[in-house]
Amino acid sequence: MNVVDIRQLTKMYKKNRGIEDITFSIEEGEIFGFIGPNGAGKSTTIRTLLNFIYPTSGSATIFGKDIVKDAKEIRQHVGYLPSEIHYYDDMKVIDLLTYSARFYKANEQRIKTLAERLDLDLHKKIEDLSFGNRKKVGIVQALLHEPKLLILDEPTNGLDPLMQNTFFELLFEERKKGATIFFSSHILSEVQKLCDRVAIIKEGKLVQVETVEHLTKKNLKYVTVVLEQGTQPDVHLDGVVKKEVKGNEITLLYKGDVKQLIHQLDRLPLKDVVISEPTLEDIFLHYYEK
Amino acid sequence: MIFMREWKRNMKSLLVWIAVLGGLVLLTLSVFPQFAEQQKEMTKLIESLPKSMVKAFGMDQLNIGDLMGYYGVRVYMMTTLLGSIYAAILGANIVAKEESEKTIEFLLSKPLTRSRIITEKWLVVVVNIFALNAAAVLASFFGFHIAKGYEVSIKTFVLLTTATILLHVTFGAVAFLLSTMMRKTRNTLSISLGLVLVAYFLHVMAGISEDLEFLKYFTPFKYVDAAPIINNKQLEPLYVFIMAAVILFSVVMSYVVYKKKDIVV
Repeated sequence: MNVVDIRQLTKMYKKNRGIEDITFSIEEGEIFGFIGPNGAGKSTTIRTLLNFIYPTSGSATIFGKDIVKDAKEIRQHVGYLPSEIHYYDDMKVIDLLTYSARFYKANEQRIKTLAERLDLDLHKKIEDLSFGNRKKVGIVQALLHEPKLLILDEPTNGLDPLMQNTFFELLFEERKKGATIFFSSHILSEVQKLCDRVAIIKEGKLVQVETVEHLTKKNLKYVTVVLEQGTQPDVHLDGVVKKEVKGNEITLLYKGDVKQLIHQLDRLPLKDVVISEPTLEDIFLHYYEK
Repeated sequence: MIFMREWKRNMKSLLVWIAVLGGLVLLTLSVFPQFAEQQKEMTKLIESLPKSMVKAFGMDQLNIGDLMGYYGVRVYMMTTLLGSIYAAILGANIVAKEESEKTIEFLLSKPLTRSRIITEKWLVVVVNIFALNAAAVLASFFGFHIAKGYEVSIKTFVLLTTATILLHVTFGAVAFLLSTMMRKTRNTLSISLGLVLVAYFLHVMAGISEDLEFLKYFTPFKYVDAAPIINNKQLEPLYVFIMAAVILFSVVMSYVVYKKKDIVV
């Protein structure tokens, strides 16, 4: 059975764009990515699923229960990590986590275990914490009651790479226990690393749902090549979608197999090369623009 | 759970208000014996005051040389006004604060209904108002004790206290409703405090001039005016009914509004 089932979900705001006619579902045990540029409607979708806001039309179920009518029962088994963490400033980390655990009647022992893994000081006041440490509090808070569904809104935002790894490990452990994970991001590589499938959203509308494999096949790369002085800068490579020449420095947007790219680069009089992730906007521009 | 959390969170401010209000009540009552001794001169002084001012504070209908009259004029003004301000601040903050400080995202992700959140928070408002009034009552008893030998009508005192609590809960309920409707405590606070102060001002104005007497219908302070309660030894049923209706309406609407609200932080 699908853990999350979204059918023609629409949320209109008076002023801002919301989401329109979103339909997709997430299977049990899946790590599902939700990707789109900032302001595309990722958070709106998540907030509608959690019933912070009411859908204008359409419907959705989580664990087969209606997101509006059965919000309370659903939340018992959902762990939510908001993109921006705001907690009660007068509380210490341990106070907040204990407060949170009591709502679920969760095992308070787990607070310590998780805090240790994430290297989080439980006895600091929340208002004294750095952005990254607040995020850790949020992570512990979301994982604490071993939820069946984790909803994470831009979870890695603010975590240093080392912590990201620990965090990903924790996620995989939860998945092994049977949890389903739904997380939003605007960073493609992160989604590629973790997810089984992704939904791509743009300007409030769902563009595509596909497997990560498929997405990776459509590999799009930014390539910056610096050539030896005095060489002919007019390079022709197969699979280049966009090219910009500045002296002996050439910036390319490459689409296709990475091996082929390296092969072709090998033949050039290279001085330096940088291969990096394209922006999401570029991906949309070259794949999903019709 | 939310109740305990809010109770603790508001404890500090409750204690400060108890200290201030209790202290003022005690201080005011403790000077009564000297005041009563100089009553004759006082009566002359009051006669020399402008008529409108005497009327505004109800001193024309109450004998200020009598302990209950003194209480009605001097102490009652503080408990009603200050308590209403306290109730308004408390009610205005308690729900909107979560949205203002964006902590509502935390609370709403817990297995709770929105009604539950409203119920527990409203209870905190009511319990805090009762706690403040209990402190004021205690302080009054101490004060009466200092002024022993003067007559205190327990029945009148109970009526005055009941009226005060009703008034506080009325302002608390209206502020609470505002708190569920709006997102910023800045707005809920200023409107709620504005309401209390305007109501008090109307009450004073209605007392000053006969032409402005119609204003009394628009201010709950008039509903709990000390003079008629002390002189007639009863609360006007119509006024009690109006306040009860306002409270009921505000609380019910709070549930309705909050249940339907889109909460975006």
